[in-house]
Amino acid sequence: MISTLGLYRPRDTPLHRAPAWLKVLLLIITTVVVLVTSDTVTSLGIMCAALLLLASTAPPLRVTMWTLVGTALIGLVSSTLFLWRGDYDRALDVTADLLTIVSLALAITTSTSMAEMLDFVAYAARPIRAVLPPETLGLMFALMLRALPEVARIYMESRQAARARGLDKSIRAVVFPTTTRTVGFALQLGQAIHARGIGEEFDASHEARDARDKKRTKKRTQASTRSRKAQQAPSRGTGPEGSEDIETRSSESTGEAMSTEEAFERLIAPRGKNDK
Amino acid sequence: MIEFKGASVVAPDTGVTILRPTTLTLAERHISIVGANGGGKSTLVRLINGLIPPTEGSVEVEGLNVAKHGAEVRRRVGFLFTDPSAQLIMPTAVEDVMLSLRRSVKNKDERTRAALAALEEMGLGERADVSVSALSGGQRQLLALAGVLAVTPSVLIADEPTTLLDLRWRAHVGALLRSLPVQLIEVTHDLDSASRAERTIVIDDGGIAFDGDPREAIQHYRDLMFGRAARQAPPE
Repeated sequence: MISTLGLYRPRDTPLHRAPAWLKVLLLIITTVVVLVTSDTVTSLGIMCAALLLLASTAPPLRVTMWTLVGTALIGLVSSTLFLWRGDYDRALDVTADLLTIVSLALAITTSTSMAEMLDFVAYAARPIRAVLPPETLGLMFALMLRALPEVARIYMESRQAARARGLDKSIRAVVFPTTTRTVGFALQLGQAIHARGIGEEFDASHEARDARDKKRTKKRTQASTRSRKAQQAPSRGTGPEGSEDIETRSSESTGEAMSTEEAFERLIAPRGKNDK
Repeated sequence: MIEFKGASVVAPDTGVTILRPTTLTLAERHISIVGANGGGKSTLVRLINGLIPPTEGSVEVEGLNVAKHGAEVRRRVGFLFTDPSAQLIMPTAVEDVMLSLRRSVKNKDERTRAALAALEEMGLGERADVSVSALSGGQRQLLALAGVLAVTPSVLIADEPTTLLDLRWRAHVGALLRSLPVQLIEVTHDLDSASRAERTIVIDDGGIAFDGDPREAIQHYRDLMFGRAARQAPPE
């Protein structure tokens, strides 16, 4: 299996020196331009420029050639309808557009380290920071790329193990161990991330916000408790519920602000026997 | 200094006691922990940096309660796992160490220099830009160690760090761990390595079976294991 992941090689080329945001912007603009442009000569010109840009990053030859040949074949298959109609210009345009986009994507992969890409993803995700911390998104991106080859390795090992047991044609003998081992790998990886303290700096950056949230929540909780106490005051002493229970419930129902670490610890924390 | 104050762990789903209430002070520079599989060794050391919270009791590292100051404790306590593959996240060696440094070194150039220096110390300087999947098992373990040490912890927990390594790498990684200027708590099945510690703890069936001099502890461990094996042998 040929993978374009991990193509990055540190070199001193103009594209290596360019910031990640500029390269991604170039890819987006070029993609829009080639999709809008239907002129074959222009498309071929842009394709040549993209190929030259890719060559300037000195990518690994074998992987690059296979990727480009595969893309050209996909382009030709996609253009079958145009070829059948005799619209050769359009067929050439579609194939050139595909090659342009893939060449630029490869050029970015070859010239941008994962750390740079991580920083870029974190930066680009800043507008949605209220929903998802940018650094968390960047880490998710890195973990996704990290998991792909690992899942492929687990699948290959499970297939070999099934063969060794004479279960060549059993889908279950491959799918079940692959699934359970993948989950096991994810758990191990999660523990390792936790142990390395990765992600906890994001909590630190949100410390001030958390403190504000906690202060507000505390005020709301106190107000809520006061109003409940006032409501239940006439029946106090006759019912089974004491004021302590009321306070406990009200703090739970207001959803007090919780850091990622607290949430994780609550998630994995052993529960008492009564919680089973 | 690490203090266990009646810390115990009960499995949340089954209610089985994994670690009985343990009170312990770990102050020596090199402590080894030995015991049978499933005895509770890994649970004990995972309590130290909050990977597992105690069901009852508490654990303190340098006066900090792990349950309350988990993030702060993890900055002081590094953890090295048995399988380095699960510990490495980024595609190349230098990027993985840089990931560990994101919190402490904000400047990217400085971070790169610090990561390269950490790799150089582990003898991986020339492999900095190599994909982690292209490294040997021993090199991966060294890389995982570089990632942990880059943030200069004062305590290093190594949970069977040499189990997956061949004899050559086992000797190299073992010697390297012992030479580090940190408090080393090593869970191991390698009795030779365990005997080089200042103190050895034998864990059995969720509790401390012996705690003291390494040679006596190892003898106790052998007696425990072989005695049990003799009892469990089928009658002739």
